[in-house]
Amino acid sequence: MSQNIVHIENLVKRYGDLVALNHLNLDIKEGEVFGLLGPNGSGKTTAINCMLSLLKYDKGTIEIFGEPMSPDNYQVKKQIGIVLQNVAVFEELTVQENIDYFCGLYISEKKKRKQLVEEAIQFVGLEDYRKMRPKKLSGGLLRRLNIACGIAHKPRLIILDEPTVAVDPQSRNKILEGIQELNRQGSTIIYTSHYMEEVEQICTRIAIMDHGRTIASGTKEELKQMIKTGETITIESVLLDEKNLREIQALNHVFDVHYESQILTVRCTGAKHNLIRILNYLQSQELAFGRVFSELPTLNDVFLEITGKQLRD
Amino acid sequence: MTVFKGYMKILKKNIGLVIMYLIIFFSVALALQAAAGKEGSDSYQSKSVEIGIVDEDGGTLAQGLEDYLGKIHHITMLENDREVLQENLFYRNVEYIVQISENFVQSCILDSERLKVTKVPGSYTSYYVDQQINSYLSMARTYLAAGLSQEEAVDAIAAEKHSEVQTLAGTSENVTKPGYLYYFRYLPYLFLGVFCYVMGYILMAFRQGDIQRRMEASAVSVRRQSIEGLLAMGVMGLVLWGVGIAGAGIMYGKAFWKSQTLGYYILNSLIMMAVALSLSYLVGMFVKNSNMLSGLANVISLGMCFLCGVFVPMNVMDKKVLKVSQFLPVYWYEQVNELLSEYTTLTDKAKEQIHMAMGIEVLFVVVFVCLTLTVVKYKRQK
Repeated sequence: MSQNIVHIENLVKRYGDLVALNHLNLDIKEGEVFGLLGPNGSGKTTAINCMLSLLKYDKGTIEIFGEPMSPDNYQVKKQIGIVLQNVAVFEELTVQENIDYFCGLYISEKKKRKQLVEEAIQFVGLEDYRKMRPKKLSGGLLRRLNIACGIAHKPRLIILDEPTVAVDPQSRNKILEGIQELNRQGSTIIYTSHYMEEVEQICTRIAIMDHGRTIASGTKEELKQMIKTGETITIESVLLDEKNLREIQALNHVFDVHYESQILTVRCTGAKHNLIRILNYLQSQELAFGRVFSELPTLNDVFLEITGKQLRD
Repeated sequence: MTVFKGYMKILKKNIGLVIMYLIIFFSVALALQAAAGKEGSDSYQSKSVEIGIVDEDGGTLAQGLEDYLGKIHHITMLENDREVLQENLFYRNVEYIVQISENFVQSCILDSERLKVTKVPGSYTSYYVDQQINSYLSMARTYLAAGLSQEEAVDAIAAEKHSEVQTLAGTSENVTKPGYLYYFRYLPYLFLGVFCYVMGYILMAFRQGDIQRRMEASAVSVRRQSIEGLLAMGVMGLVLWGVGIAGAGIMYGKAFWKSQTLGYYILNSLIMMAVALSLSYLVGMFVKNSNMLSGLANVISLGMCFLCGVFVPMNVMDKKVLKVSQFLPVYWYEQVNELLSEYTTLTDKAKEQIHMAMGIEVLFVVVFVCLTLTVVKYKRQK
């Protein structure tokens, strides 16, 4: 069993009357790609800021690499790389100068730093842009530069706070592959994002946060088992009346029926033969229908079911 | 020294701006030097003034006054018509009108009544003519009292040598102003202009996006980052100050290097550099974009320079303005400059005044630094 690289216990952070972190507990093991999910204002960024000692907290403990984290624990900080949500690079410096500057905040030896900067440039594929200033880079290239600045010193723990916001699919794919590569090279990753498919694609373990606390955590499969939805069945071009809908709702294992624009969506618990049961009913009522889909729950279903469908700020 | 190098790299990107300011500064300094050279600082020549004379007396002493003034100035005889006189003054055909009334000898010489004169408002040359007329009347009064006839008195006055003005070099207040005074008077504009812009750009760069967060989370302590930042600022300030001093050395050569007050000029400009640096850092904390920076830099550098006697000598400035400018550090810098320009060898009293003014400048530095620290602390807590 690998050791905990991050251990957060009973973390409380208040902004006046607002409780941003409410007895948060979190354990992240070495070698994981750990996804931190949650709606806006759930406390993800506050938790990260506390982890990095950028924010003082009211209560609780944070240990990183087995050591208590504090603003002046530079031995620990040295082994952490951060890629922030907003691109944090100097517009006045070139791509290479930017990476060199941020790498220089961790590595003082010039020769070693030169090599690391070169590796970081190659890692994010910015070889052809090294002399360019950030203003001339596209959104995707800029995000890649932002990542290079955070990982050039080869940290053991990398925190990526929504690194793919406003990035085209090609750049996003490149970034996600890069993150997986960093993990393969030995770095532990903490990854926050609103893109569920990204988290599903790269994270080995996920925690869902809401109202400042972890409300579910585990692997993708474990999380999917935690929710009621086991299967979502969608049937197109079907004409139904109120009576039909009531009868479908009454079928075994069906817990939610939605009908709009001749499309029927039925959510069932994780039992067997749900699809057959619904199709049998339609045949028995001599109802014609078009295409039929059956989907297993996605992380999005998990997220919405756990955190609710209400809009957040 | 990553942070130090970062400051320097960003400074390098703004070097064009620094060079532009240096070019402006040295151009103005050269122009001032040229202007000072033309006027000459070790000689004196009376200026010729356009004088209009209305002679209603026509007597010997009245004619004598006309001849006396005519030796130096250009005389135009005018008729005693109010409109004609006003028109001549308005179009600046004449700067000064002397109206010699009937019974000139009795009224103006014997009874010491004032001669009627009209001047262009604010004309400094008119004071000079005033003096000459007073001198003529005084001499005439003396000669008549001594028993000379009017003709003899006029001849005697004409035989008098015009007073010769000698410029004196020495420890008195009559010392000629050195050429580099103008250079040092103008120096705060260079410091304030360059530092406000450069510090603003550097501090803005370090506040972009989440750079501050990224740096605070790094393995370099905030304290060390601050020290390296301060070091970079110090180096930047010293280099610009060095360029300023070297420029003075090159432009004024021996006159500057052998000046007995050289040390004070150097020390005063060094303190001014510290004032400009600390003030620009404080201002830089509030700058959010380049437009704001441009506005603030201009308001501070030009505003302070205009109010404190950088562009306009203090002795011609309004006293109320000077009262206000006492609350600005450049005023005290210029005070030291003015004092230094008045002495070749400083008296104890002058030294005391200079030390006090420099002390006030240092206090301004302390205040700016304290304000900056307070703002930094407030922003961190926020």
